[in-house]
Amino acid sequence: MNNWMLIALLSISTYLSRVIGVEIMAGREMNATLRLYFNYVPIAIIAALIVNQMLVPTDGGTVFSLPVLIGCLATAITIKVIHTFLPSLIIGIAAGLLARYFL
Amino acid sequence: MNNKKQTIKTAFIESLPLAIAIAAYGLSYGVLATQTSLSLANTLAMSLFVFSGSVQLVVVAMLAAGATATSVLIATALLNLRNLLYGAALAEGLSHATRKWRGLLSFGVSDEAFVLGSARFQKHGPDPLYFGIVAATFYLAWITSSYIGAVIGGQVDPLKWGLDLAFPITFTALLIPSLRGKPVIATALVAVTITVILQYVTPGNEFTIILAGVLSPLVGLYVSRRARDNE
Repeated sequence: MNNWMLIALLSISTYLSRVIGVEIMAGREMNATLRLYFNYVPIAIIAALIVNQMLVPTDGGTVFSLPVLIGCLATAITIKVIHTFLPSLIIGIAAGLLARYFL
Repeated sequence: MNNKKQTIKTAFIESLPLAIAIAAYGLSYGVLATQTSLSLANTLAMSLFVFSGSVQLVVVAMLAAGATATSVLIATALLNLRNLLYGAALAEGLSHATRKWRGLLSFGVSDEAFVLGSARFQKHGPDPLYFGIVAATFYLAWITSSYIGAVIGGQVDPLKWGLDLAFPITFTALLIPSLRGKPVIATALVAVTITVILQYVTPGNEFTIILAGVLSPLVGLYVSRRARDNE
């Protein structure tokens, strides 16, 4: 298979995976339990994505990233205290970078 | 009109930190892609038409390792499974758009756009314009950076600039304000537990996020039902 054919098939399969979920559910009246379930899905996925990026797979194991943990904790505390998005990000990234260079 | 302007401004400001991080990954993709059998035109076309960091990086890694096209397609189909979940969760927030626009907006469904979009929809209700601006910002960041990466090669180190921290930190800033009530907190804790266990048992497993996303909300539902029964 040449590269152009591979790119075409990847484009189609990726787009289908995106549009199917949106179109099947769009405009449908969800029952209360399903609606509640889908309200919790983003929370679960965001929490999983955060932890997934703290745990870095290596050859035959998993390494815990302390800079990512410290950065996330600093962001969590800052946004809890000052309730402002951008400064919380800046403080988190600064804390993560400091942890990377000094720990 | 002012509301639209405000939405566009908010979407742009909120997507900018993630767009910078996406650009860092785009540079890496561009650099790696040119070290495989992909030409500059192939590299750019994949960013234009596939527009998926995880899929494209896996394709490049597999091609570099000599994988067949069939195995690349199977692996990416598994990676794309989570888009079904994202699409279903975003559907209500995009339901005010016409079918044609929804078709276009669906092209922007990704990890980062899902996180920003779902947080916005939970606070403000359906908002296709917000999602469109976010997706367009990410798209521009992705195609521009993959082109630059393919042209300039490996002269940028994302670790040195802390760009790898931008994803988890932005997600944390979006998650913390949403953690209200026992069902939500239980959902997040179970997702964390599932992810940690799966990452240690089967490192790098692409099903981790899907399993956490499908199973953890069931615990949230259970806690919610128990709280209601106890009232």
